[in-house]
Amino acid sequence: MKNIFGSLYFSIFGLFVLGLGIAELIIGITGRSFTWSILEISGEFLLWRGLILFFAGLFYLSSVKNLAEIHHLAKNVMASVMIWIIAGMQIFATITESIPGGEEGGWINTWEDFLSTYSPPYIPSLILLPFSLVTIYYIYARKKT
Amino acid sequence: MLSVDERWNLIEKISKKTIKFGKYRHTLKDALAEITVKPLTGIPVAIAVLYGFWAFFGAFAGFFTDGFLVKLFDVHWLPWLQEVFPVGKNSWLYYIFVGDPLAENCFEAFGMLTSGLFVAIGVVLPAIVAFYLVLIVLEDSGYLPRLAVLIDTVLHKIGLHGYAIVPSILSLGCNVPACTACRILETKKQRFIMMTLLAIFIPCGAQLGIMLEVIPETVGWVILYLLIGYFILGFILNKIIPGKSPELLLDIPPYQKPMLGNVGRKLWMRTSSFFTMAVPFVLLGVIVVNVLYLTGVIDWLATGLSPLLSGWFGVPKETVGPLIAAFLRKDLAVAQLSAIQMTKYQMITSVVLVSIYFPCVATFVMLLREGGGKGLLGSLAALVLTVFLYGGLLHLIWIVLGVA
Repeated sequence: MKNIFGSLYFSIFGLFVLGLGIAELIIGITGRSFTWSILEISGEFLLWRGLILFFAGLFYLSSVKNLAEIHHLAKNVMASVMIWIIAGMQIFATITESIPGGEEGGWINTWEDFLSTYSPPYIPSLILLPFSLVTIYYIYARKKT
Repeated sequence: MLSVDERWNLIEKISKKTIKFGKYRHTLKDALAEITVKPLTGIPVAIAVLYGFWAFFGAFAGFFTDGFLVKLFDVHWLPWLQEVFPVGKNSWLYYIFVGDPLAENCFEAFGMLTSGLFVAIGVVLPAIVAFYLVLIVLEDSGYLPRLAVLIDTVLHKIGLHGYAIVPSILSLGCNVPACTACRILETKKQRFIMMTLLAIFIPCGAQLGIMLEVIPETVGWVILYLLIGYFILGFILNKIIPGKSPELLLDIPPYQKPMLGNVGRKLWMRTSSFFTMAVPFVLLGVIVVNVLYLTGVIDWLATGLSPLLSGWFGVPKETVGPLIAAFLRKDLAVAQLSAIQMTKYQMITSVVLVSIYFPCVATFVMLLREGGGKGLLGSLAALVLTVFLYGGLLHLIWIVLGVA
């Protein structure tokens, strides 16, 4: 039952990841930027990020056939790891950006500017990050069996 | 003394007690390991890992350099030094140690105690720490041997094999240990190709750090251009150099969690050895270039080489100073380029020229030690030809695009 749910969940999620990857690639190639609500498709390494998300989406979709099978699960885990790499680096970059005071300011940022660094919009991988964590459940579920 | 049969019996007894026999169950770790070596899945994973590598490098180095060290050197150190330096602003001692008295930042000042220290501590140190930290994590986790297997087929086209990825990646930190790492390649031909390629086309971590500061928006294109050159020259050298390029037999270790203690020790060892070697060269480089400026040698060379620099490469003749500095330290040379007035495209050409032009003196010594006099001369011949053709080609591209 849980594998059917997993397959369905990652089919839909994989399509989202793939779609956002394609969107990042197109926007990256055309050199434009796109913002909608809390989502922002712009910034450094956009093409690379798009390419990685595109492949992560393909990995998810190719894993849904049988999540209980180890090689399919490995593809699913690797897709999540790829999202974690982009999102993790974005979080790390935001943290390193939020602490120093900037060219004109003091050594350390003001509390308001510090908090504003973390405000939306966010890149697609950051929005996808919490949804990709479902993979961890399947890793533990496999360990138990 | 045991007979052969008795020995085998003993082995059987021990193995029965110590080894558990049964059907091996493929683990998730094994499946993940397979994914990272198969080209279809391994290449996307490699792209993600290299993206992570580069993103961490930029964020970590940017945090220290842009966040704190630029401010420390430009707002506090430089004005203080300009004020308290005991010798008059018109003296040659002031010019050598503090540099331009009107400079407002350490990149422009170009004194030993201003630009020299800023480049070494303010820019290079964070970049090198970031680079080695990620490299060590990749090494200790077991990913690097997998990358070697993955890239093996591609590297065979240029006469190398997968293990050439080790000196290639090490060279992105510093060319000196990378030259030593070329010993893992079996034949003389492979070692010559690898050393020549890394001396010409692979920018070191210090240089990458400076590039991120000087040309942040175009550094990706510069690296792509160098990467293309790496494969073109490798392909040509493989065709013309006699010798063998054997296959790769590699034992791949399982994935494992890097141990914090080991990572710390390796990071300290590599960073400190790099730093003790780099800092004296940076400081010496500033002194030498400043003395050459003061004695008029740079102006004389700039005038003499003007047809080549402006005509063939399309860069200002003033770049002759950084090109001389590049022999001592390439990071210093890129920093020096930032103070010269030129277009974005001229800047890209200049940075590429500094990268592919003569290896820094430390690499030069290593090339001599590892490849011998004949190898060094061969590498230099390849280098001169490459600089001339590749630099000219870049100028031609700008002319065709209408931006030169």
